[in-house]
Amino acid sequence: MTGSRAFFYLILLSWQRQARAHLMLWIAGGLLAFAAFLVLANTWNGRWNMSYWRVPGGGGVTYGDQIRAFAMARDLPLAGSAASVTQLAWSTQRLVVDDASGFFVFSNRIVFFLFTTFLMPLWTLSFATEGLGREREAGNLVWVLSRPLSRPAIYLAKFLAAVPWCLALNMGGFALLCVLAGWPGILALAIYWPAVLMGTLALASLFHFLGAFARRASVVAILYAFFLETIAGNLPGHLKRLSISFYTRCLMFEQAHEFGIQPERPSIYLPVSGSFAVTVLATVSIVLLVAGAWIFARKEYLELT
Amino acid sequence: MPDLLESTDPSRGDRALEGPLVRAPLSLVNGARIANKSESLEAKDSAAAELGPKTGPPVLFFDRVSRWYGPVIGVNGVTLELRSGITGLVGHNGSGKSTLMRLAAGHLRPDLGAVLVEGRQAWTAEAKRHVGYCPELDTYYEEMSGRRFIQCMARLSGFSRAEARSRGDEVLELVGMADRAQRPLAGYSKGMRQRIKLAQALIHDPKLLLLDEPLSGIDPIGRRESIQLFHKLAGRGKCLLISSHELEELEKLTDHVAIMAAGRIAAVGPLTQIRDLLDDHPLSIRVASDQNKVLATALLDCDDVVGLDRLPDDALLVRARNPRRFFQRLTELVISEHLEISHLESLDESTHDVLGYLLGGKS
Repeated sequence: MTGSRAFFYLILLSWQRQARAHLMLWIAGGLLAFAAFLVLANTWNGRWNMSYWRVPGGGGVTYGDQIRAFAMARDLPLAGSAASVTQLAWSTQRLVVDDASGFFVFSNRIVFFLFTTFLMPLWTLSFATEGLGREREAGNLVWVLSRPLSRPAIYLAKFLAAVPWCLALNMGGFALLCVLAGWPGILALAIYWPAVLMGTLALASLFHFLGAFARRASVVAILYAFFLETIAGNLPGHLKRLSISFYTRCLMFEQAHEFGIQPERPSIYLPVSGSFAVTVLATVSIVLLVAGAWIFARKEYLELT
Repeated sequence: MPDLLESTDPSRGDRALEGPLVRAPLSLVNGARIANKSESLEAKDSAAAELGPKTGPPVLFFDRVSRWYGPVIGVNGVTLELRSGITGLVGHNGSGKSTLMRLAAGHLRPDLGAVLVEGRQAWTAEAKRHVGYCPELDTYYEEMSGRRFIQCMARLSGFSRAEARSRGDEVLELVGMADRAQRPLAGYSKGMRQRIKLAQALIHDPKLLLLDEPLSGIDPIGRRESIQLFHKLAGRGKCLLISSHELEELEKLTDHVAIMAAGRIAAVGPLTQIRDLLDDHPLSIRVASDQNKVLATALLDCDDVVGLDRLPDDALLVRARNPRRFFQRLTELVISEHLEISHLESLDESTHDVLGYLLGGKS
């Protein structure tokens, strides 16, 4: 009873103290504000569609120009069937480019590129490395380690304290960006939130693990996030299978498959199935948590003297 | 409100200890033992001692404990039993005091041997229920007030919110911080921080208190109060292991000390006995001069020299009692006989050096 009381209090205390991660919070908040501004600016300018995309890329005309060309052609005094074809082409392209492409563009630009490979790892590490990492660096982990709490319980409590912050930032931040984007974003929120949840838990497990074992855990986690999640996660080949964001995106691809969302070049991207991605994300979360607790139970912190 | 010093750990509720509390005599059961390099390094557990009544399991038991930091040995084959009472732990920097403390606190694990607190491995949570650790480290949850920090530590020990509040008030009163505990820890002086550190070690009423330099930074009045508190705790049957660089400071607390040198317990027991033994125990010294024959003749006339051999390299191996007096006499000889000393080495450095340093000014 006293053990569980201490355990739950440690969760509460750690959760409260997480809020004091000022620097990381400011960085996370700043990134959220920047991303929100970006999304809002696109929403205001009506950029959640493909009308400004050029075909072919680079120097071609935009889809918007094509629609306007079809609109002009529609006004020409054409014979019956030709007029019908022009009308059909105009309305189809307008439907696809102007109305239906918003979800595709938002998914590609914001969800897959900005959020999954950059913001989500960074927001998660800003809290998940702090639980043990910051107390270790500050030297005050000694107080918790001196209490009659088992080491695995301490590890688990610190993780459970960090997860609500990670989820709040990732899910909340994602929801905010989605809402600011209008209907494409709201559709994305409804479809992608399970993948964000799974990805957040896996990343939180990983960064909590790093926080317990790596000196300067925040730096190590930032390097990991940058090189493995942001860069390697977007490279062709199998290296990206080491990144959690790859599996998160594969899960998203499967969830949004019916909307025609898929990797740009599947033969190069080599996606895995959604069920496999879920399995990997769940396994990473559990294995890292259990392994972390096991190693933490044996770990000595020589710097705490 | 229960007396904090009599209440027990939270797993047993707030019951008072059953029966009257009797101050345990701090007698040295095995007697003081002193070991020089040639003796103690051969017998790994030579410096074993027991403090307090020799009934029941010891509160703290080091069973042939060794601990390495990579290639460097921190604690070397230490065997030590502590029951109730105060034991001072003294030694040079790097002698292994802090390692010993941290092994007892369960922050380090021995590479060899076992460290037991109340019969349980010190590393475990069950053992920590009986340990109050006051580390030398000076970092806290700086944003908290002293009172909140203590209450947090109480709650992390398993107490309810109400219990944590009442026990927190008691220990703060005990360490003389009740009226200043509302201020944030970041603004505390060194002495106030030491008191808070002591308070957190006492909050769960542990049987074993490990206090690393507990009086450092505390003003004279605070020191007196702390010393009184330590005596009071020892009188309640607690086992206190207090480390310090300063023997004088420890002497005010207890006559029983464990002296550490080079990772070993060089001597343990009443200080007076250690001093007597040190003075009587021959020290081996290797000495060479430009006139070894003259030097040997002169040394043989010294009362403190109990043996003299010539080494293969023509140097002299001198066995002398009372190192301080011997070195004083040697200096006089060098001056009076115009000797040029080319080599002078104490072969029992690990033990005698530290003991001489620590006890030299006291005999």
